[in-house]
Amino acid sequence: MSLELKNITKCYGKKTVLNGLDLTLEEGKIYGLVGRNGAGKTTMLSIASAQNPTTKGEIMLDGETVWENQKCLNQICFSREIVNSADNVSSALKVKEYLRMAQMLFPYWDKEMADRLVEEFELDEKQKIMKLSKGMQSMITIIVALASKAKYTFLDEPAAGLDVVARENFYRLLLDEYSESGRTFVISTHIIEEAADVFEEVIFLNKGTIMLKENTEELLSRCIHISGKAEDVDDIIKGKRAFHQEKMGRSKGITLMLDGGEIFDKKGRDVEVSPLSLQDVFVALCGREEKL
Amino acid sequence: MKEVLNQEKSIYIQIAEMIENDILRDVILEEERVPSTNELAKLYVINPATAAKGINLLVDKGILYKKRGVGMFVESGAKEKIKAGRKAEFYERFVISLLKEAKSLGIGKAELIGMIEKAEEK
Repeated sequence: MSLELKNITKCYGKKTVLNGLDLTLEEGKIYGLVGRNGAGKTTMLSIASAQNPTTKGEIMLDGETVWENQKCLNQICFSREIVNSADNVSSALKVKEYLRMAQMLFPYWDKEMADRLVEEFELDEKQKIMKLSKGMQSMITIIVALASKAKYTFLDEPAAGLDVVARENFYRLLLDEYSESGRTFVISTHIIEEAADVFEEVIFLNKGTIMLKENTEELLSRCIHISGKAEDVDDIIKGKRAFHQEKMGRSKGITLMLDGGEIFDKKGRDVEVSPLSLQDVFVALCGREEKL
Repeated sequence: MKEVLNQEKSIYIQIAEMIENDILRDVILEEERVPSTNELAKLYVINPATAAKGINLLVDKGILYKKRGVGMFVESGAKEKIKAGRKAEFYERFVISLLKEAKSLGIGKAELIGMIEKAEEK
């Protein structure tokens, strides 16, 4: 059981946003989607949910084409980030109306859950969406995502504008729903560190392609930072994948990515080895790979 | 239970260590049920698969066992087992590195024992 993005290219005019992207989302996992501004995260999610046509490539759910296929579309929810603008019709709606619209859209809608979350987040249903703060708008998108009960649910920047307590509450609600239902979630976020432990797998999107998709724990276990005298460091990293080098005087620090199962060998050199956070790994990888 | 997770070690190893700590301190007794994967996931805000990995580590070590349909329980004798494991770890992590550092500073065996005795008096 999986949702597959096959060789997806998406161009807006002359600009290529997604470039031959391949991705398989397995059922029953929480994925973290991480990428820099303009990497194509929102475009990818809108295409994966068939809200946006591809320029090239296809989306398949368990072997069936998703595009204009209601049976498949019923299984997918993309809860978009709400953007305040004059031409955005939905932001002129009241909270109640927005949720009623979602109810019509998603066949497995859980009204009881939506009502409960509105109360928990202390949202005023009679308020217009555009009058809400950014954090409250994020809460609405979270409610839609969770209550949709769709097998594949995508959330675009759900943490945006939420305060730190609300963010932790969100991740708890998410884990609650996940452990009860086993639904698949893809969550894009710029606040990587606090979400890292929630993601079973992490997807790095860079310049319109998948740079990496891996179990978070395994990725962290094979990424290390080493520092020491430049010649010692240089000797150790010879022939290995190294990123993001920092130099100061005679010392040198670098991020090393070991192969799966490879055991790090200091080669008897006196260097400092430290673990990295997911955020460090992301920053290192999205810098330039050193040619060594 | 609730200790704070850090990034020095893998999360699943920290989960396993925290359960071990609770067993050592009699917070969880032998033959008692330990929190479920989902309970741990919610408490620490981590993926249930990670929590399960921590639990499985303890099953492999013979510290926890599964009762079908009920949950995970602490083996009898688990406390002694943990202590023995921690002792071996203590030797590797502290004693060996203590001697190494002492050697590099030119501290001899007698001086080192003197230091330990002095520290004990405090």
